[in-house]
Amino acid sequence: MSDSIASYKAALEGLHRYLSRYVPLSKQEFGQLLPYIEIREFDKKVKVIDKGEIERYLNVIAWGLVRKYLPVRNREITVQLASEGHIIHSELSFHYRTPSGSVIETIEPTAFFSISYDSLQDLYDHLTKAERMGRLLISDLYVKKDNRYFDQLLQSTRERFLQYVRTHPQMMQRVPQKYIASYLNIKPETFSRLKHLMRPGRR
Amino acid sequence: MLEPLRQYVNDYVALTDKEFSLLASKITVRNFDKHQRLIQPGEVERYMNFVVRGLVRTYFYKGRAEVVTVLAKERDLISASASFLSGEPSNYFIETLEPTTLLSLTRDDLEELYRTSSRIERLGRLLTMQFVLIKEEWDHEYMRLDTRERFVRFVEKNPGLMQRVPQKYLASYLNMKPETFSRLKHLLKKRPLQGR
Repeated sequence: MSDSIASYKAALEGLHRYLSRYVPLSKQEFGQLLPYIEIREFDKKVKVIDKGEIERYLNVIAWGLVRKYLPVRNREITVQLASEGHIIHSELSFHYRTPSGSVIETIEPTAFFSISYDSLQDLYDHLTKAERMGRLLISDLYVKKDNRYFDQLLQSTRERFLQYVRTHPQMMQRVPQKYIASYLNIKPETFSRLKHLMRPGRR
Repeated sequence: MLEPLRQYVNDYVALTDKEFSLLASKITVRNFDKHQRLIQPGEVERYMNFVVRGLVRTYFYKGRAEVVTVLAKERDLISASASFLSGEPSNYFIETLEPTTLLSLTRDDLEELYRTSSRIERLGRLLTMQFVLIKEEWDHEYMRLDTRERFVRFVEKNPGLMQRVPQKYLASYLNMKPETFSRLKHLLKKRPLQGR
Protein backbone atom coordinates (compact mmCIF):
# COMPACT_ATOMS: atom_id res chain seq x y z
CA MET A 1 0.00 0.00 0.00
CA SER A 2 1.77 3.15 -1.25
CA ASP A 3 -0.05 5.63 0.96
CA SER A 4 0.40 3.42 4.00
CA ILE A 5 2.69 5.77 5.96
CA ALA A 6 0.31 8.69 5.53
CA SER A 7 -2.57 6.41 6.51
CA TYR A 8 -0.85 5.30 9.69
CA LYS A 9 -0.05 8.89 10.58
CA ALA A 10 -3.67 9.88 10.21
CA ALA A 11 -4.78 6.82 12.18
CA LEU A 12 -2.34 7.63 14.99
CA GLU A 13 -3.67 11.16 15.18
CA GLY A 14 -7.13 9.66 15.43
CA LEU A 15 -5.98 7.44 18.29
CA HIS A 16 -4.44 10.44 20.06
CA ARG A 17 -7.73 12.36 19.78
CA TYR A 18 -9.71 9.33 20.94
CA LEU A 19 -7.59 8.79 24.07
CA SER A 20 -7.54 12.52 24.85
CA ARG A 21 -11.30 12.40 25.23
CA TYR A 22 -10.67 10.51 28.45
CA VAL A 23 -7.46 12.13 29.67
CA PRO A 24 -5.76 15.02 27.85
CA LEU A 25 -2.41 13.79 26.51
CA SER A 26 0.34 16.04 25.17
CA LYS A 27 2.16 14.97 22.01
CA GLN A 28 5.02 13.87 24.20
CA GLU A 29 2.82 11.83 26.54
CA PHE A 30 1.14 10.17 23.58
CA GLY A 31 4.62 9.39 22.26
CA GLN A 32 5.37 7.50 25.48
CA LEU A 33 2.53 5.09 24.67
CA LEU A 34 3.85 4.16 21.26
CA PRO A 35 6.56 1.67 22.30
CA TYR A 36 3.82 -0.46 23.88
CA ILE A 37 1.84 -0.66 20.66
CA GLU A 38 2.24 -3.14 17.81
CA ILE A 39 0.87 -2.68 14.30
CA ARG A 40 -0.83 -5.77 12.89
CA GLU A 41 -2.19 -5.99 9.34
CA PHE A 42 -4.69 -8.53 8.02
CA ASP A 43 -6.25 -9.32 4.67
CA LYS A 44 -10.01 -9.42 4.35
CA LYS A 45 -11.92 -12.45 5.66
CA VAL A 46 -9.13 -13.50 8.00
CA LYS A 47 -9.78 -14.88 11.46
CA VAL A 48 -7.80 -12.68 13.82
CA ILE A 49 -8.70 -14.96 16.69
CA ASP A 50 -10.57 -18.26 16.55
CA LYS A 51 -12.71 -20.02 19.10
CA GLY A 52 -10.53 -21.91 21.60
CA GLU A 53 -7.50 -19.65 21.22
CA ILE A 54 -6.36 -17.32 23.97
CA GLU A 55 -6.69 -13.65 23.09
CA ARG A 56 -3.32 -11.97 23.39
CA TYR A 57 -4.27 -8.50 22.22
CA LEU A 58 -6.51 -5.56 22.78
CA ASN A 59 -6.94 -3.90 19.36
CA VAL A 60 -7.91 -0.46 18.16
CA ILE A 61 -8.77 -0.41 14.46
CA ALA A 62 -6.45 1.91 12.48
CA TRP A 63 -8.40 1.20 9.32
CA GLY A 64 -10.64 -1.55 8.08
CA LEU A 65 -13.74 -3.37 9.21
CA VAL A 66 -14.08 -6.28 11.60
CA ARG A 67 -16.82 -8.37 13.14
CA LYS A 68 -16.98 -10.45 16.27
CA TYR A 69 -19.34 -13.40 16.46
CA LEU A 70 -20.29 -16.30 18.65
CA PRO A 71 -20.57 -19.68 16.95
CA VAL A 72 -23.70 -21.24 18.44
CA ARG A 73 -24.73 -24.65 17.16
CA ASN A 74 -25.06 -24.08 13.40
CA ARG A 75 -25.31 -20.31 13.57
CA GLU A 76 -23.02 -17.32 13.90
CA ILE A 77 -24.38 -14.59 16.15
CA THR A 78 -22.73 -11.27 15.35
CA VAL A 79 -22.07 -9.39 18.59
CA GLN A 80 -19.92 -6.51 17.33
CA LEU A 81 -19.27 -4.64 14.09
CA ALA A 82 -16.29 -2.34 14.39
CA SER A 83 -14.58 0.15 12.10
CA GLU A 84 -11.87 2.82 12.36
CA GLY A 85 -11.15 3.98 15.90
CA HIS A 86 -13.14 1.23 17.62
CA ILE A 87 -11.79 -1.20 20.19
CA ILE A 88 -12.25 -4.89 19.47
CA HIS A 89 -10.96 -7.98 21.27
CA SER A 90 -12.20 -11.16 22.83
CA GLU A 91 -12.65 -9.55 26.25
CA LEU A 92 -13.27 -12.57 28.46
CA SER A 93 -10.36 -14.48 26.96
CA PHE A 94 -8.02 -11.48 27.15
CA HIS A 95 -8.75 -10.66 30.78
CA TYR A 96 -9.29 -14.12 32.27
CA ARG A 97 -6.62 -15.76 30.09
CA THR A 98 -9.05 -18.50 29.05
CA PRO A 99 -9.89 -19.95 25.59
CA SER A 100 -12.03 -17.58 23.53
CA GLY A 101 -15.68 -18.42 22.98
CA SER A 102 -15.96 -15.88 20.19
CA VAL A 103 -14.35 -15.41 16.79
CA ILE A 104 -13.02 -12.13 15.41
CA GLU A 105 -12.83 -11.93 11.62
CA THR A 106 -11.95 -9.11 9.22
CA ILE A 107 -14.50 -8.05 6.62
CA GLU A 108 -12.13 -5.65 4.81
CA PRO A 109 -8.32 -5.50 4.80
CA THR A 110 -7.59 -4.21 8.29
CA ALA A 111 -4.78 -2.71 10.37
CA PHE A 112 -4.79 -2.78 14.16
CA PHE A 113 -2.95 -0.86 16.78
CA SER A 114 -2.57 -3.72 19.27
CA ILE A 115 -1.37 -3.92 22.81
CA SER A 116 -0.56 -7.30 24.33
CA TYR A 117 -1.81 -8.34 27.76
CA ASP A 118 1.67 -8.08 29.29
CA SER A 119 2.40 -4.70 27.69
CA LEU A 120 -0.87 -3.37 29.00
CA GLN A 121 -0.02 -4.36 32.58
CA ASP A 122 3.40 -2.76 32.05
CA LEU A 123 1.78 0.39 30.77
CA TYR A 124 -0.46 0.64 33.83
CA ASP A 125 2.58 0.25 36.08
CA HIS A 126 4.76 2.80 34.34
CA LEU A 127 2.57 5.54 32.93
CA THR A 128 0.89 7.70 35.54
CA LYS A 129 -2.04 8.77 33.42
CA ALA A 130 -2.77 5.25 32.12
CA GLU A 131 -4.69 4.20 35.20
CA ARG A 132 -7.22 7.01 34.85
CA MET A 133 -7.43 6.70 31.10
CA GLY A 134 -8.08 2.97 31.41
CA ARG A 135 -10.69 3.44 34.09
CA LEU A 136 -12.63 6.07 32.15
CA LEU A 137 -12.41 4.14 28.90
CA ILE A 138 -13.68 0.96 30.54
CA SER A 139 -16.41 2.90 32.28
CA ASP A 140 -17.56 4.24 28.90
CA LEU A 141 -17.47 0.70 27.51
CA TYR A 142 -19.74 -0.48 30.30
CA VAL A 143 -22.26 2.31 29.80
CA LYS A 144 -22.42 1.61 26.04
CA LYS A 145 -22.88 -2.11 26.67
CA ASP A 146 -25.68 -1.45 29.11
CA ASN A 147 -27.43 0.92 26.69
CA ARG A 148 -27.21 -1.62 23.89
CA TYR A 149 -28.59 -4.33 26.14
CA PHE A 150 -31.47 -2.09 27.12
CA ASP A 151 -32.24 -1.02 23.54
CA GLN A 152 -32.16 -4.62 22.30
CA LEU A 153 -34.71 -5.59 24.92
CA LEU A 154 -37.07 -2.67 24.76
CA GLN A 155 -37.02 -1.38 21.18
CA SER A 156 -39.10 -2.90 18.43
CA THR A 157 -37.39 -4.41 15.39
CA ARG A 158 -38.25 -1.32 13.37
CA GLU A 159 -36.86 1.04 16.05
CA ARG A 160 -33.64 -0.94 16.33
CA PHE A 161 -33.21 -0.85 12.58
CA LEU A 162 -33.89 2.87 12.23
CA GLN A 163 -31.64 3.81 15.12
CA TYR A 164 -28.77 1.80 13.70
CA VAL A 165 -29.16 3.28 10.23
CA ARG A 166 -29.28 6.78 11.64
CA THR A 167 -26.21 6.36 13.82
CA HIS A 168 -24.15 4.17 11.42
CA PRO A 169 -24.97 5.30 7.85
CA GLN A 170 -21.57 4.25 6.48
CA MET A 171 -21.88 0.71 7.88
CA MET A 172 -24.92 0.04 5.71
CA GLN A 173 -22.68 0.44 2.64
CA ARG A 174 -19.73 -1.53 3.97
CA VAL A 175 -21.11 -4.44 5.96
CA PRO A 176 -22.87 -7.43 4.35
CA GLN A 177 -26.54 -7.22 5.19
CA LYS A 178 -26.70 -10.60 6.92
CA TYR A 179 -24.15 -9.48 9.52
CA ILE A 180 -26.04 -6.31 10.37
CA ALA A 181 -29.28 -8.29 10.56
CA SER A 182 -27.66 -10.76 12.96
CA TYR A 183 -26.17 -7.93 15.05
CA LEU A 184 -29.59 -6.29 15.38
CA ASN A 185 -31.25 -9.65 15.97
CA ILE A 186 -33.54 -9.18 12.97
CA LYS A 187 -34.43 -11.93 10.47
CA PRO A 188 -32.76 -11.34 7.07
CA GLU A 189 -36.18 -11.21 5.34
CA THR A 190 -37.44 -8.60 7.77
CA PHE A 191 -34.22 -6.65 7.35
CA SER A 192 -34.72 -6.48 3.55
CA ARG A 193 -38.24 -5.24 4.04
CA LEU A 194 -37.09 -2.56 6.50
CA LYS A 195 -34.49 -1.30 4.05
CA HIS A 196 -37.30 0.29 2.04
CA LEU A 197 -37.76 2.66 4.94
CA MET A 198 -34.40 4.17 4.10
CA ARG A 199 -35.39 5.49 0.68
CA PRO A 200 -35.70 9.30 0.54
CA GLY A 201 -39.16 10.58 1.28
CA ARG A 202 -40.18 7.44 3.14
CA ARG A 203 -40.56 7.16 6.87
CA MET B 1 -18.29 -4.91 59.51
CA LEU B 2 -15.55 -3.70 57.20
CA GLU B 3 -13.67 -6.99 57.16
CA PRO B 4 -15.66 -8.61 54.32
CA LEU B 5 -15.06 -5.50 52.20
CA ARG B 6 -11.37 -5.63 52.96
CA GLN B 7 -11.21 -9.25 51.81
CA TYR B 8 -13.20 -8.44 48.70
CA VAL B 9 -10.96 -5.54 47.75
CA ASN B 10 -7.85 -7.60 48.41
CA ASP B 11 -8.70 -9.92 45.54
CA TYR B 12 -8.16 -6.98 43.18
CA VAL B 13 -5.56 -4.73 44.82
CA ALA B 14 -3.75 -5.37 48.10
CA LEU B 15 -4.30 -1.98 49.74
CA THR B 16 -2.10 -0.97 52.68
CA ASP B 17 -3.79 -0.33 56.04
CA LYS B 18 -3.46 3.37 55.41
CA GLU B 19 -5.05 3.16 51.95
CA PHE B 20 -7.89 1.02 53.25
CA SER B 21 -8.56 3.43 56.16
CA LEU B 22 -8.76 6.24 53.64
CA LEU B 23 -11.36 4.28 51.70
CA ALA B 24 -13.18 3.31 54.89
CA SER B 25 -13.36 6.92 56.07
CA LYS B 26 -15.72 7.73 53.18
CA ILE B 27 -18.06 4.80 53.71
CA THR B 28 -21.60 5.18 55.02
CA VAL B 29 -23.46 2.21 56.52
CA ARG B 30 -27.04 2.11 55.25
CA ASN B 31 -29.74 -0.21 56.62
CA PHE B 32 -32.92 -1.14 54.78
CA ASP B 33 -36.01 -3.16 55.56
CA LYS B 34 -37.16 -5.73 53.04
CA HIS B 35 -39.03 -4.50 49.97
CA GLN B 36 -37.51 -1.05 50.16
CA ARG B 37 -36.59 0.77 46.99
CA LEU B 38 -33.05 2.12 46.62
CA ILE B 39 -33.51 3.82 43.27
CA GLN B 40 -36.00 4.04 40.42
CA PRO B 41 -35.82 4.96 36.72
CA GLY B 42 -35.20 8.65 36.14
CA GLU B 43 -33.10 9.10 39.27
CA VAL B 44 -29.33 9.37 39.03
CA GLU B 45 -27.46 6.73 41.04
CA ARG B 46 -25.39 8.35 43.80
CA TYR B 47 -24.02 5.22 45.45
CA MET B 48 -21.84 2.23 44.83
CA ASN B 49 -22.82 -0.35 47.46
CA PHE B 50 -21.29 -3.44 48.95
CA VAL B 51 -23.76 -5.91 50.48
CA VAL B 52 -22.78 -6.89 54.03
CA ARG B 53 -26.04 -8.62 54.81
CA GLY B 54 -29.22 -9.20 52.86
CA LEU B 55 -30.42 -9.59 49.32
CA VAL B 56 -31.17 -7.05 46.60
CA ARG B 57 -32.55 -7.19 43.08
CA THR B 58 -32.31 -4.91 40.04
CA TYR B 59 -35.16 -4.89 37.53
CA PHE B 60 -37.07 -2.92 34.93
CA TYR B 61 -40.43 -3.15 33.21
CA LYS B 62 -40.85 -4.53 29.74
CA GLY B 63 -44.45 -3.63 29.07
CA ARG B 64 -46.11 -4.83 32.26
CA ALA B 65 -43.65 -7.61 32.98
CA GLU B 66 -40.78 -7.17 35.40
CA VAL B 67 -37.39 -8.22 34.08
CA VAL B 68 -34.91 -9.05 36.84
CA THR B 69 -31.34 -8.32 35.74
CA VAL B 70 -29.26 -8.63 38.92
CA LEU B 71 -29.54 -10.56 42.20
CA ALA B 72 -26.97 -9.38 44.73
CA LYS B 73 -26.23 -11.17 48.00
CA GLU B 74 -23.59 -10.85 50.71
CA ARG B 75 -20.20 -9.81 49.35
CA ASP B 76 -21.56 -8.57 46.03
CA LEU B 77 -21.48 -5.02 44.72
CA ILE B 78 -24.79 -3.48 43.77
CA SER B 79 -25.59 -0.18 42.07
CA ALA B 80 -27.37 1.16 39.02
CA SER B 81 -23.84 1.01 37.64
CA ALA B 82 -24.37 2.62 34.23
CA SER B 83 -26.07 5.59 35.88
CA PHE B 84 -23.42 5.73 38.60
CA LEU B 85 -20.64 5.79 36.00
CA SER B 86 -22.25 8.12 33.47
CA GLY B 87 -24.27 10.46 35.67
CA GLU B 88 -27.28 9.81 33.40
CA PRO B 89 -30.66 8.78 34.87
CA SER B 90 -31.03 5.10 35.75
CA ASN B 91 -33.07 2.72 33.60
CA TYR B 92 -33.51 0.36 36.53
CA PHE B 93 -35.23 -0.13 39.85
CA ILE B 94 -33.24 -1.52 42.74
CA GLU B 95 -35.16 -3.08 45.63
CA THR B 96 -34.28 -5.11 48.73
CA LEU B 97 -35.73 -8.62 49.06
CA GLU B 98 -34.54 -9.10 52.67
CA PRO B 99 -33.48 -6.72 55.45
CA THR B 100 -30.21 -5.43 54.05
CA THR B 101 -27.08 -3.65 55.24
CA LEU B 102 -24.97 -1.83 52.66
CA LEU B 103 -21.58 -0.15 52.80
CA SER B 104 -21.99 2.80 50.47
CA LEU B 105 -19.68 5.25 48.73
CA THR B 106 -20.90 8.30 46.84
CA ARG B 107 -19.64 9.12 43.38
CA ASP B 108 -18.08 12.39 44.60
CA ASP B 109 -16.21 10.69 47.41
CA LEU B 110 -14.98 7.99 45.08
CA GLU B 111 -13.71 10.60 42.62
CA GLU B 112 -11.86 12.27 45.46
CA LEU B 113 -10.31 8.96 46.52
CA TYR B 114 -9.14 8.39 42.93
CA ARG B 115 -7.43 11.77 42.96
CA THR B 116 -5.71 11.01 46.27
CA SER B 117 -4.58 7.43 45.67
CA SER B 118 -3.54 5.83 42.40
CA ARG B 119 -3.91 2.39 44.04
CA ILE B 120 -7.55 3.07 44.81
CA GLU B 121 -7.95 4.32 41.26
CA ARG B 122 -6.53 1.00 40.09
CA LEU B 123 -9.08 -0.78 42.25
CA GLY B 124 -11.74 1.32 40.54
CA ARG B 125 -10.44 0.39 37.12
CA LEU B 126 -10.34 -3.32 37.90
CA LEU B 127 -13.82 -3.36 39.42
CA THR B 128 -15.27 -1.46 36.47
CA MET B 129 -13.64 -3.99 34.15
CA GLN B 130 -15.20 -6.71 36.26
CA PHE B 131 -18.63 -5.17 35.59
CA VAL B 132 -17.93 -5.28 31.85
CA LEU B 133 -16.79 -8.90 31.99
CA ILE B 134 -19.76 -10.06 34.04
CA LYS B 135 -22.10 -8.48 31.50
CA GLU B 136 -20.18 -10.01 28.62
CA GLU B 137 -20.24 -13.45 30.23
CA TRP B 138 -23.97 -13.14 30.87
CA ASP B 139 -24.59 -12.16 27.23
CA HIS B 140 -22.57 -15.09 25.96
CA GLU B 141 -24.24 -17.61 28.23
CA TYR B 142 -27.59 -16.26 27.24
CA MET B 143 -26.81 -16.80 23.55
CA ARG B 144 -24.99 -20.09 23.91
CA LEU B 145 -26.93 -22.06 26.49
CA ASP B 146 -30.47 -23.38 26.26
CA THR B 147 -33.01 -22.96 29.06
CA ARG B 148 -32.04 -26.11 30.92
CA GLU B 149 -28.32 -25.40 30.72
CA ARG B 150 -28.84 -21.86 32.02
CA PHE B 151 -30.84 -23.22 34.93
CA VAL B 152 -28.26 -25.83 35.87
CA ARG B 153 -25.41 -23.36 35.62
CA PHE B 154 -27.19 -20.87 37.84
CA VAL B 155 -27.93 -23.45 40.53
CA GLU B 156 -24.34 -24.65 40.52
CA LYS B 157 -23.00 -21.14 40.90
CA ASN B 158 -25.57 -19.92 43.44
CA PRO B 159 -26.72 -22.86 45.55
CA GLY B 160 -27.96 -20.61 48.39
CA LEU B 161 -30.18 -18.37 46.29
CA MET B 162 -32.75 -21.04 45.37
CA GLN B 163 -34.12 -20.92 48.93
CA ARG B 164 -33.94 -17.17 49.38
CA VAL B 165 -35.26 -15.67 46.16
CA PRO B 166 -38.95 -15.94 45.23
CA GLN B 167 -39.33 -18.31 42.33
CA LYS B 168 -40.91 -15.75 39.99
CA TYR B 169 -37.85 -13.52 40.31
CA LEU B 170 -35.47 -16.38 39.65
CA ALA B 171 -37.49 -17.37 36.59
CA SER B 172 -37.41 -13.78 35.33
CA TYR B 173 -33.68 -13.51 35.98
CA LEU B 174 -33.09 -16.65 33.93
CA ASN B 175 -35.59 -15.46 31.31
CA MET B 176 -37.87 -18.45 31.51
CA LYS B 177 -41.55 -18.93 32.19
CA PRO B 178 -42.38 -19.70 35.85
CA GLU B 179 -43.85 -23.06 34.71
CA THR B 180 -40.59 -23.99 33.00
CA PHE B 181 -38.71 -23.03 36.13
CA SER B 182 -40.91 -25.28 38.31
CA ARG B 183 -40.47 -28.16 35.93
CA LEU B 184 -36.67 -27.80 35.98
CA LYS B 185 -36.70 -27.61 39.75
CA HIS B 186 -38.42 -31.00 39.97
CA LEU B 187 -35.80 -32.41 37.67
CA LEU B 188 -33.19 -31.20 40.12
CA LYS B 189 -34.81 -33.02 43.03
CA LYS B 190 -35.05 -36.31 41.20
CA ARG B 191 -31.57 -36.39 39.80
CA PRO B 192 -28.49 -34.75 41.27
CA LEU B 193 -26.75 -32.32 38.93
CA GLN B 194 -23.49 -34.22 38.66
CA GLY B 195 -25.20 -36.77 36.43
CA ARG B 196 -25.81 -34.35 33.55
